[in-house]
Amino acid sequence: MKKVIGILAVALLSLTISCKDNKGEQKDEMHNEMSDNHTKYACPMKCEGDKTYDEAGSCPKCGMDLEAVETHNHSEANHEDGHDHGNNESTERTITQNSTKNTATSAILDAYFEIKNGLVADSKEKTATGGNSLIAAIEKFDMSKLTGDTHTKYMEIAESAKEHAEHIVKSPIDHQREHLEALSTDMTDLVALLGTDKVIYQDYCPMANNNKGANWLSEVKEIKNPYFGSKMLKCGSIKKQIN
Amino acid sequence: MKIFKIILLILLIVFVGIQFIPTKRNLSEIVPNTDFMIVNNVPNSIKNTLQTSCYDCHSNNTYYPWYNKVQPVAWFLENHIEEGKAELNFSDWNTYSNRRKKSKLKSIVSQIEDDKMPLISYTLIHKDAVLTQKQKTEIIDWITKLQMENE
Repeated sequence: MKKVIGILAVALLSLTISCKDNKGEQKDEMHNEMSDNHTKYACPMKCEGDKTYDEAGSCPKCGMDLEAVETHNHSEANHEDGHDHGNNESTERTITQNSTKNTATSAILDAYFEIKNGLVADSKEKTATGGNSLIAAIEKFDMSKLTGDTHTKYMEIAESAKEHAEHIVKSPIDHQREHLEALSTDMTDLVALLGTDKVIYQDYCPMANNNKGANWLSEVKEIKNPYFGSKMLKCGSIKKQIN
Repeated sequence: MKIFKIILLILLIVFVGIQFIPTKRNLSEIVPNTDFMIVNNVPNSIKNTLQTSCYDCHSNNTYYPWYNKVQPVAWFLENHIEEGKAELNFSDWNTYSNRRKKSKLKSIVSQIEDDKMPLISYTLIHKDAVLTQKQKTEIIDWITKLQMENE
């Protein structure tokens, strides 16, 4: 009898021990390639407009690998279910010029660039370090000079940016890249709200964010794509320059 | 053999003993008017799905079947609920800023798409919380619509 109860107890214990978090394997969902005989290849950046090639290779203009495209058909139909709003919010959100040469935002922006550059280098660790820098920079920021509406708006941006930073610290790299998209929006709004003395480029990649497109900010003119890293480092274009 | 019996006996005593340690229950009688379901006009079928699959850890009200009152299961659960609510608490939805709401909606979609939520450790015992493909599409479509309205 004792034995039976004992075994039952052990069974229950082992059951609960096996209940640890299952983070699951990350699905590698890159662009779905088409594989029928209508397959043509085109530059993902549309360097030559809608020009297509019959065989895979690299774009003669930008050197990127050509991607399979289906002719006469919308290849993303399943994802967008009907509505053709493809380029939504992130495309429209350009930085409203703020002429204030504010140096107070520098620490936050530098931390953001650290995250961005970590992703460019495909380094989860460097990105996570950047996340920690961003949390520290936000905590150190002196809000006492902000008043009224500006204060409220800053608080919202900071709260959101901090949350993204916290996730960036503890997440695998594909998840870090997802957070960069929203974080870039926060940074864009921050610059629009408070201004900066830095020279910043607002870049855009049409393929990021599941082909919905996403912006990022960069301190260097050269395009280095943080959403894809070495997979498509050169993908993207400058949309705007600040200062 | 004797040692084996003693070990089992000790385990049993520990198991019974920990049942007497009190735990916090995540239960609040009222549904606050900041709740996601009240703020947004959620269709009934999605309401049910969210309630079954998400609200146990992402709201101020957890449904506790008997095995969740048994230690150490209850501890694991307490932890999960605390973490879950910190990430997203549907009960507090309307206290979030628009910026935060937007980023939460986006995360809900990506978590469901990638099958990261509901957690496998949770669906192991809560079979009814597993989202079917139909339920997933239904939620994602509806949230996408909500996102466009909030633009």
